[in-house]
Amino acid sequence: MKNAASADQQAIQSTNDKDIIVIKDMNKWYGNFHVLKDINLTVKKGERIVVCGPSGSGKSTMIRCINRLEEFQRGSLTVNDVEMIDDVKNIEAIRKEVGMVFQHFNLFPHLSILDNLTLGPIWVQKKPKDEAEAIAMKYLERVKIPDQANKFPGQLSGGQQQRVAIARSLCMSPEIMLFDEPTSALDPEMIKEVLDVMVELADEGMTMICVTHEMGFAKKVADRVIFMDGGEIVEQNTPHEFFDHPETDRLQLFLSQILQH
Amino acid sequence: MKAKEFKPLPAQPAPVSTIGVIPWLRNNLLSSPFNITVTVIIVAALLAIVPDMLDWLIFSANWSGETQAACVKDGACWVFISAWSQQIFYGSYPDGEIWRVNLSLLLLAGVIASSFALPARLRNKVSVPAYLCLPFVCLLILDGSYIGLKEVTTDLWGGFSLNVLIAAASIIIAFPFGFLWALGRQSDMPFARSVSVTCIEFFRGTPILALFFMGSVMLPLFFPANVSVDKLLRVWIILVLFMSAYMAEVFRSGFAAIPKGQYEAADSIGLGYWQKTLLIIFPQVIKVSMPNILATFVMVFKNTVFLLVIAVPEMLQVIMAALSNSNWLGGHAIEGYLFVGFIFWICCFSMSLLATSIEKKLDTSHKN
Ligand SMILES: Nc1ncnc2c1ncn2[C@@H]1O[C@H](COP(=O)(O)OP(=O)(O)OP(=O)(O)O)[C@@H](O)[C@H]1O
Ligand SMILES: [Mg+2]
Repeated sequence: MKNAASADQQAIQSTNDKDIIVIKDMNKWYGNFHVLKDINLTVKKGERIVVCGPSGSGKSTMIRCINRLEEFQRGSLTVNDVEMIDDVKNIEAIRKEVGMVFQHFNLFPHLSILDNLTLGPIWVQKKPKDEAEAIAMKYLERVKIPDQANKFPGQLSGGQQQRVAIARSLCMSPEIMLFDEPTSALDPEMIKEVLDVMVELADEGMTMICVTHEMGFAKKVADRVIFMDGGEIVEQNTPHEFFDHPETDRLQLFLSQILQH
Repeated sequence: MKAKEFKPLPAQPAPVSTIGVIPWLRNNLLSSPFNITVTVIIVAALLAIVPDMLDWLIFSANWSGETQAACVKDGACWVFISAWSQQIFYGSYPDGEIWRVNLSLLLLAGVIASSFALPARLRNKVSVPAYLCLPFVCLLILDGSYIGLKEVTTDLWGGFSLNVLIAAASIIIAFPFGFLWALGRQSDMPFARSVSVTCIEFFRGTPILALFFMGSVMLPLFFPANVSVDKLLRVWIILVLFMSAYMAEVFRSGFAAIPKGQYEAADSIGLGYWQKTLLIIFPQVIKVSMPNILATFVMVFKNTVFLLVIAVPEMLQVIMAALSNSNWLGGHAIEGYLFVGFIFWICCFSMSLLATSIEKKLDTSHKN
């Protein structure tokens, strides 16, 4: 019994050691503008990463490259052992593993909440409708708004919409979740309800990359915090080291600015 | 220190609205000496014109009878319309077969009604194929030769039913075409883009009259001598292409109204190009484009009267033929043209009412 348990433990350990995202020397240009410069980043399964940095530093661009909302021109990216190349099969395979939550929710306004959630399972995963609806309800319960299933996105508050957006991604049972400033379009009272859902998700062992300026969240859940500026990863460290002993002067300046208020 | 208790104020009823007929009159028509003068002049002018007009149109009009001889009173000779009503509505379609025209019109009405009455889930599965099949089903019914009915050749089709059916058949087919052209126009593929742009610009830049002449006079020159394509079919194709070009532009402005985030969200959950286009983008484009779609339809519907220039016996053509009929040479042009105008106005007005109701129905995105 004890052996079995430790074997289990070991299995978890070994999956956790797996590199699920590997970015090597990624470079991207918008025209002549060099947005991403030699990005190198390896994310292990189950790791929770927070990305921060000043506006225009390329945070969004970097995480949007991971599910091919943006293309990069040089370097390589591997997600769950699939290489990101210009091939529909690979892109599809990667998008299946990666869920994304946007700053402005991007729910489909013409579909009810339930239809927003079942769309992916039905059309991409080809699940039967009742199964898809069961999954959708399960995740709506997890984000604590099952009672809103038949409403339309326009009838929900920002915080509720963002939770629906999280549930919509989760319905595709992704291995990795990307968050691009999920709370920065929200009123303070709604930020907490969204962060609570994200903390729960983190506690369940989801691999997450989260662009956010919620430093409380970073301290609480992040395994690693990454600081970007001018298209580069300037510094990365555990939250404790990151906030208490920033190495570069750039990060010190950034932290002093955002912690002022 | 004890915090002060927060007591929300009780809600109060909204102030009583003071809007009514009398205040409206006072505010809008009689608010200043100038306004009063203008109002008085307009009312006087109306009083001078309207009674005579009503008298001619209704009270002294000739309502019953069969021939021109029945028009003895001073007013309008509506007998002219009633005597020619069958041709006005059905052209020269044979007497005994007119039920086929009515059936086609009923099918059209039924399909339109179904798209309103059916619950949302069935609508896409039932109404969309029904719409797309409708033109061809009507074609089979009206022609008859393929389904074991008496053949009625297209030169006998005519009248107002032709205006309605050809306009409907055109817009239905133009819908997917226009959408494809709009997609092509914004596609990354140079071939698809240049084909779409050429089609759109050609058919939008050429007046419909010129297109009709091209269709009826020029196109046959390009066909081999032994191949003859039915005139009405050619006209239909022209209308479809013309309409597609307009629809493509309508859809293009619809596409522009869809936020980029919608595409990104669809991509991020892994939908393919066609799934994304048809499930996410198309419904939203339709929704924002609805007023323009209906406007385009009204335009094409009205343009069907231009078919008379190539001697297709649509409604106005029938009226003009009737006016030059030797039994009716009394000069009933006013009655005839008024009637055509009235029928078209009724149809276009109901379409704009329809448009409003569709807009309301589709409006799910906002709270108010
Ligand atoms: N489509 C585009 N074309 C040209 N330049 C772009 C485009 N999108 C972004 N950029 C530029 O790339 C840089 C990085 O943008 P990005 O959105 O990744 O920044 P960010 O770190 O996410 O900033 P923020 O905190 O404001 O969201 C910015 O300078 C921006 O102006
Ligand atoms: Mg950003």
